Amino acid sequence: MSGPNRDTVTALVLLVACGTFFWATTRIRDLGFETLGSAVWPRAVLVVLTLFTLVYLVRSLVSGAPPPALEEAPAGSGIRGWLSHYRNVLVCFTLFGVFLLTLPYLGMLIGGVLFVFASLVLLGPRRPRRLLLHGIIALAAVGGMWLIFTFGLKVILPPGELLRLG
Amino acid sequence: MLLENVQLAFGAVFDPYTLVLMVLGVGAGLLAGAIPGFTIAMAIVLTLPFTFGMDPVRGLATMISVFVGGLSGGLMAGILTGIPGTPSSVATTFDGFPMARSGRPGLALGIGVWSSFSGGIISAILLMTLAPRLARIGLEFGPWDYFALVLFALTITASLAGNTLLKGVIAGALGVLVATIGEDEINGVARFDFGIDALKQGFAFLPVLVGLFAFSQLLSDVRDRVKATRAIADTGDFVVRIEHRNAIREVVTYWGVVLRSALLGVFTGLLPGAGSSVSNILAYDQAKKTSRRPEKFGSGVPEGIVAPESSNNATEGGSLMTMMALGIPGDVVTAIMLGALLIHDVVPSPSFIGDEPVLAYSIFLSFFLANFIMLGLQAICLRAFVLVTRLRMYILAAIILAYCAFGIFTLNNVVFDLWTLFIFGILGFTMKTLGFPLAPMILGVVLGDIAELNLSRAFAISSDLTHFVLRPWSLFFLLLAAFSTGFPLYQRDRQRRRWTRGYAPLMAAALSLPMFMMGGAVRPTIGTALLLWAMWTAWRRFHAGWAIPGDDRRAGSR
Repeated sequence: MSGPNRDTVTALVLLVACGTFFWATTRIRDLGFETLGSAVWPRAVLVVLTLFTLVYLVRSLVSGAPPPALEEAPAGSGIRGWLSHYRNVLVCFTLFGVFLLTLPYLGMLIGGVLFVFASLVLLGPRRPRRLLLHGIIALAAVGGMWLIFTFGLKVILPPGELLRLG
Repeated sequence: MLLENVQLAFGAVFDPYTLVLMVLGVGAGLLAGAIPGFTIAMAIVLTLPFTFGMDPVRGLATMISVFVGGLSGGLMAGILTGIPGTPSSVATTFDGFPMARSGRPGLALGIGVWSSFSGGIISAILLMTLAPRLARIGLEFGPWDYFALVLFALTITASLAGNTLLKGVIAGALGVLVATIGEDEINGVARFDFGIDALKQGFAFLPVLVGLFAFSQLLSDVRDRVKATRAIADTGDFVVRIEHRNAIREVVTYWGVVLRSALLGVFTGLLPGAGSSVSNILAYDQAKKTSRRPEKFGSGVPEGIVAPESSNNATEGGSLMTMMALGIPGDVVTAIMLGALLIHDVVPSPSFIGDEPVLAYSIFLSFFLANFIMLGLQAICLRAFVLVTRLRMYILAAIILAYCAFGIFTLNNVVFDLWTLFIFGILGFTMKTLGFPLAPMILGVVLGDIAELNLSRAFAISSDLTHFVLRPWSLFFLLLAAFSTGFPLYQRDRQRRRWTRGYAPLMAAALSLPMFMMGGAVRPTIGTALLLWAMWTAWRRFHAGWAIPGDDRRAGSR
């Protein structure tokens, strides 16, 4: 029997999620006249999911997690190594999250240009010439998309309170 | 009737605007398929927002064009750089790249292009002739049978996840669970909303799919900081002319390989969950096993390019058949197409071809025509491909992420869909990193509702559970589901454990039972053939002591 590993933690998180969803099925309204209650199918799925997750948990404890593929393995150890390994991914998620949070104020056009520009700057090289190029790419790509969607496909994109570019 | 439908579809597809869209679609697909790390499914996802405003025929024709282009585009990268453009062209690189490196890139490309074309055309013909027949069989299905079919689709998708069957099943069940969030389609009761108003409607299908698939894929592509800032592929300064005449000669020489691989591709496509990423490897393997010079495979033999390329293009005809005739998507790409059809209020089912003949035959014709357009555009796209591969992945990823946001917002004009995209992007990337296959989850999201709806219908008719095993089609699919669950174990132990010698005869014997139950003349005959084969094979293997081929040699070598 090996100790807890990445798979063990994943299985435990899944089991907690299953428990939460099971609890939530008790809050599904029962109409009383339906042939198959609204909670029956989700419960059946949750039973299957829980059973297989339990097998997954036992297997992870018995045989241990397989070693990660070489290119997937974080280079350094600890939280710093992990952060460095997933830096680009975290940058993208954070920027996309900020883009969504600021969407009501900045709108799709300004928010989109800033999102692409910030992504390019943080993911790519940061030489002055590159910065200019990134600015041009962000403006051209998002501006082009905005024009196509607004005037070509007649979609009303979020205008944003800042400039109300709808 | 057939000719009338074809004639009407002809008018719809051969409209100048539709033709322009198809040419653009094939071109975009060729380029997208040629970019390593950029899958066909992602190309289809990106095309989707443009099709919302089109009528269904144009929208579907455009998407099918991207689809066909993408399948053929993968071979350019595979042959010229050794890096397959898409998972569908992995096997093409085994012989395509060595042939290109030995000084014949034009011939390798030509063989790839003409094999793709041949496979596509064989598949299109089968699609046009067999899809209506399959739909007629589908009309026999009751809710019990549909439920069992969905179960089979989910188990086979999970079992094709390779060594990660357990994770595949968990991912599939998670997908089905996601589909239950929101208003119950049958009773209209809200489920798992956790007090959040936006969740009462549930998650829209396409943002979930794009998040799980495209968003997570892009993040995987830029994860490596060094690779993200490098050019996508090193193509150098290729000046390649496709050797069409020599390539046609080679493809005609290996017409048997073309036909067998195309049929294998169509059959793989028919299976729910199995796509061209599986069929190209199967076809290559078959071509190698039946070749007179298997030892030459891997050094640049024409059959090594012919087999995977004719098979991967043919697979999609099979996938389209299952989607159109039964309403069950064969793979991720057809799942997206199903989503696109639903946006246009078109619901594929066994009655789809009869109810919407113009649309159905337009899909057939578009698939047919797109293969011809692909043939014409390949040479032009070869030049564009060299330019595209000079792009940096981080630039492509940033632009596409923004584009995903624009496209997803267009779907319902709701900002919540963007949050759905974001949440499922995180979930998809996390699952991928933890080794969970995403295809079972995506199919779970698509098929979950269909399963619940049919289960509910079955119970509305009768609460007798024996219907699931007494109805022949339901029993047939349940048996297939059971055997597909055991398939990964069979694959693992084949050539090593004796029990695997009984797997195929047992499966054939078991499947003969529902065939006998179906009645008529043809199906019991097939059942008899299956049973006789099973008995004959089992008898032979029993007399050989269930020995594994090669046992003697192994024993001798010891």
